[in-house]
Amino acid sequence: MSDNLGLAQLSDHLLIVAVVVYSLAMLAYAGDFAYGRRVKAAGAAGKAARPVPELAGVGASGGAATPGTPEGPEQPTAAVPPAATADSAPGDAGRLGPLIRGAIALTYLGLAAHVAGVITRGLAVHRVPWGDMYEFITALTCVTVIFFVALMMRYRAWHLGVFVMGAVVVALGLAQTIIYTPAGPLVPALKSYWLAIHVAAMTLSVGIFFVAAVLGVVYLFAERYSRRAAAGLSPANHGIMRRLPSAVELDRLTYRTVVFGFPIWTFGIIAGAIWADQAWGRYWGWDPVETWAFITWVIYACFLHARATAGWRGRRAAYIQLIAFGCLLFNVLVVQTFLTGLHSYAGLG
Amino acid sequence: MPLFPSSHAARRAVGAAAMAVAGVLGVAACGGQIAANTPASNGNNFVSGNGTSSYFKAGSRLAAPAVSGSTLSGARLSLSSYRGKVVVINFWGSWCAPCRSEAPTLAVLSEQYQSKGVRFVGVDIRDSPASARAFVQNFGISYPSLNDPADEIALAFRHTVPPAAIPSTLVIDRNGQIAGRVIGQTSYSSLGNILAKVTAGG
Amino acid sequence: MTDVRSPQAGNGAAAPGVAEEPADVAGETIAGVADETETPRPGGFGAVAWARWAWRQLTSMRIALVLLFLLALGSVPGSLLPQQGIDPAGVQQYFTAHPALAPFLNALGLFNVFAAPWFAAIYLLLFVSLAGCVLPRSFRLARTARARPPQAPRHLSRLPNSVRYETAMTTEEASAAAAAFLTRRHFRLSQGEGWLSAEKGYRREAGNLLFHVALMGVLVSIGLGGLFGYKADRLLVEGTSFADTVTDLDAYHPGHLVSPNDLAPFSLTLDKFSASYVASGPDRNQPESFNAHVSYTAQPGDAARTYDIQVNHPLNVDAVKVYLLGHGYAPVFRVTDGQGKVVYDQATPFLPADQSTYLSEGVVKAPDAKPQQLGFAGVFLPTAVDVSGQLESAFPAPYLPAVSMIPYVGNLGLNNGVPQSVYQLNTTGMHRLATPVQVLTPGQSMKLPGGAGTLTFTGYRQWVSLQVTYDPGQVPALISGIAALAGLVLSFLVRRRRIFVRTYRGDSGRTVVDVAGLARSDVGGGFEAEFGELAAGLKSVHDHDSSPRSEETE
Repeated sequence: MSDNLGLAQLSDHLLIVAVVVYSLAMLAYAGDFAYGRRVKAAGAAGKAARPVPELAGVGASGGAATPGTPEGPEQPTAAVPPAATADSAPGDAGRLGPLIRGAIALTYLGLAAHVAGVITRGLAVHRVPWGDMYEFITALTCVTVIFFVALMMRYRAWHLGVFVMGAVVVALGLAQTIIYTPAGPLVPALKSYWLAIHVAAMTLSVGIFFVAAVLGVVYLFAERYSRRAAAGLSPANHGIMRRLPSAVELDRLTYRTVVFGFPIWTFGIIAGAIWADQAWGRYWGWDPVETWAFITWVIYACFLHARATAGWRGRRAAYIQLIAFGCLLFNVLVVQTFLTGLHSYAGLG
Repeated sequence: MPLFPSSHAARRAVGAAAMAVAGVLGVAACGGQIAANTPASNGNNFVSGNGTSSYFKAGSRLAAPAVSGSTLSGARLSLSSYRGKVVVINFWGSWCAPCRSEAPTLAVLSEQYQSKGVRFVGVDIRDSPASARAFVQNFGISYPSLNDPADEIALAFRHTVPPAAIPSTLVIDRNGQIAGRVIGQTSYSSLGNILAKVTAGG
Repeated sequence: MTDVRSPQAGNGAAAPGVAEEPADVAGETIAGVADETETPRPGGFGAVAWARWAWRQLTSMRIALVLLFLLALGSVPGSLLPQQGIDPAGVQQYFTAHPALAPFLNALGLFNVFAAPWFAAIYLLLFVSLAGCVLPRSFRLARTARARPPQAPRHLSRLPNSVRYETAMTTEEASAAAAAFLTRRHFRLSQGEGWLSAEKGYRREAGNLLFHVALMGVLVSIGLGGLFGYKADRLLVEGTSFADTVTDLDAYHPGHLVSPNDLAPFSLTLDKFSASYVASGPDRNQPESFNAHVSYTAQPGDAARTYDIQVNHPLNVDAVKVYLLGHGYAPVFRVTDGQGKVVYDQATPFLPADQSTYLSEGVVKAPDAKPQQLGFAGVFLPTAVDVSGQLESAFPAPYLPAVSMIPYVGNLGLNNGVPQSVYQLNTTGMHRLATPVQVLTPGQSMKLPGGAGTLTFTGYRQWVSLQVTYDPGQVPALISGIAALAGLVLSFLVRRRRIFVRTYRGDSGRTVVDVAGLARSDVGGGFEAEFGELAAGLKSVHDHDSSPRSEETE
């Protein structure tokens, strides 16, 4: 069955369009930081168009405000008083400036092109579109953007978009330049339904961990900002930091993202072991990619435990999470391509 | 304040059990790793032994299975025709260096013990008949060898005393029971000792 | 903060915010002793006291995490350096490339990390630590699984999440309504005079423990495989067969408790091997499919059955699996020696030197040739073409097979008893015969000078390399893995919550209802919203039902 070159070309073009549109979106997000209207205080209770699930743009306070009950005048008694006026509560959809609304629209547009590009690639090669390194990266960045959009639709912190878009643009750019391989058939060892299962799980979980890593980096900046603010120092980046969720909320968001991705990663390793047993005769052989997947798993497990240990929450846990993602990147980019092993299906060279 | 409020005895039992399983894992771990998901790359393509010999005392010997086949010259040969004699079965191949090294020893021993009622039979493995015949002629092997390309004869020994390498030598006593085995290249002294004991009625 | 004592649970409960039990996978606030506070040094200097202190340290979560991290760290050199079990040639190369560094690394065991004693020590300690922590907790869970929640604290308004409101119902009706509401929400209740305690999320601890017990199960399964499993390799030429005995295997790696008697007694014949390759386009020469058609018997004497072994489709015989790993060509040669006798007549496996064109290299050894031993070394080309004077293979399928061999006479070195590679010729005791390089097609012969003999290339066959694997720990490992995943998901999804309700007559004469909530695990946040919804629901129940009714029906 020959590959459809026309569709393959269409896929390449769509993905280039996606990169360009994402870059524009990133510029629009950044532009909103610099030039966006300063929206005045919206109290956390009762004024939001929808109740905001526990995300309030509180800079320094540790606890989260308790949202008021939708009906009824009784105010909940709380140990921590409700949030003071926030500069632009990220929950106010009606208050988003034109720049950020343009950025959101561009994000959706880019995502549509991205999804179309992945699908057409799959149609062109008559199989699931994650059979070599290039396809893997395009698919996982697609998962990243979808997950980010879902997250932001729930938590409304669209200003995080600048970081996510930036990371995705870099990844896609890398994929399309250095890592690019033309559409082609799979080697016999990959012709198994496990390709769809194992690599799909890896694509999903790496895409989700990508979001968590970006959030983790933003968290570190937010945490530093709130520490300096609490210490009374005049903090830099005041304009940016005001629009982002608080450090505590970013920390929780990061945690929940990792919690979402970790079982999928675990499932991916198990599926990979089952496939390895069918193809290579053993379910675990300390192949470099297997070893690094195990290392990544262990460090994410350390992160999950650290988050629960006093003294290791916050910054230290964030470092652990970033180390884990670093191992993951090392696994995907370096180990699979340069180290000899059974996983050398990247399609390079 | 104890970490776990369960009883001391339960904790000790758990600790002991954990240690036991850990010990099992430890044995599994040290050395002898099952590795290699690619074919063996030393290229020898056979499992060679180190020459250890074992002798089984009368009374604790296992009965040898029925062995028969066609020889290199095409004749039919069966172990049952040697009942009442001591039989030495040697697994060999002309391509196998330790087999070539022990061939002169076997030739000498076969002639030496002929008069004591010992018969040698070879089992030729993974060989072409041309190479095997050239080998027999080269080393002056006077005893017959069974041609066994499918390795059925070694398979027949799996419940008893299997040949565990190439070359391997099995010694069957006059009652058809397995009296000794040499794994790997045999030497004059190691096989000679076994033969001396078996022919003496041991 | 009010102390929440729980006489039924049996363990001394600590204040909310510090869990009374050791923490879970997704993290709750943690086990008091090991992580929040320093374990007090043992009072005396006795060996037992020290041993007990050491045991407690070993089974603490902090040490378990350290061990886990060390396990990951220890795996790093195992992935970056060539490993003896997987790539022995690479290890040799490393030694020649780094003559000073390599012996030092070898002494540390870094060329065989996963079998090294220190690596084994790490995961054994981890296993012990895990077992020592998880098993007592499992026993405790079994004992307390049906326990009721503790009594509600006296001053609910002091808790961080609490609500107070008034209702027209009587205190009894309000309590009953609250009880019904919470029961509908799957809470487990305990009630008393004017107070109500509700708790749910007990399955979380079960999921957590299941995950950790399953991890131990994975370790045990790996151990099982290492003890009772074995792995063997065999290269098989078309038309030949082999039996699963040590004498008939190329390589044999038994587990520690495996003896040759334990090998499954199957026999297998390679009837035909076929491979197809991409003929044109950018992926030309890439393999498309491999198929080894075999017939086999599970036991001697059984009826023969057939099977097509392919990559990703191993043959399963009596729980032993036979995998197709690779393939190649075995040209058939006939060697006649100087005395006119045929001393060699069989298919000789050649190893592919070029993976895209399958140009293969190999040797022929005729150690019983007279008057002198003969050896040949050369190449086999599946599709031989002449490219500007150079002989090359254009395609991996055998469209134009040809060989070119170099003859040697002398001493092959086989008679000294040292095993040699069947793919290489040791030419130290041999000298090359002076004859021009000849390319032979099937049927052609090469006559050696001086009457030393003749080499005839009669044809070719294909060979497959098979791997025989028996691993009794395979299925237990899979089951443990799935159980671990299930436990993980359960422990993430289920959240432990405690709700307290107190009803009493207020100063105004109406019933006052105090509702408070505690999250036993709130690492991910969000309990405030959840409590808000719950409190609102309770309030609406108490508001909607202002007429005295004794029972609230579900």
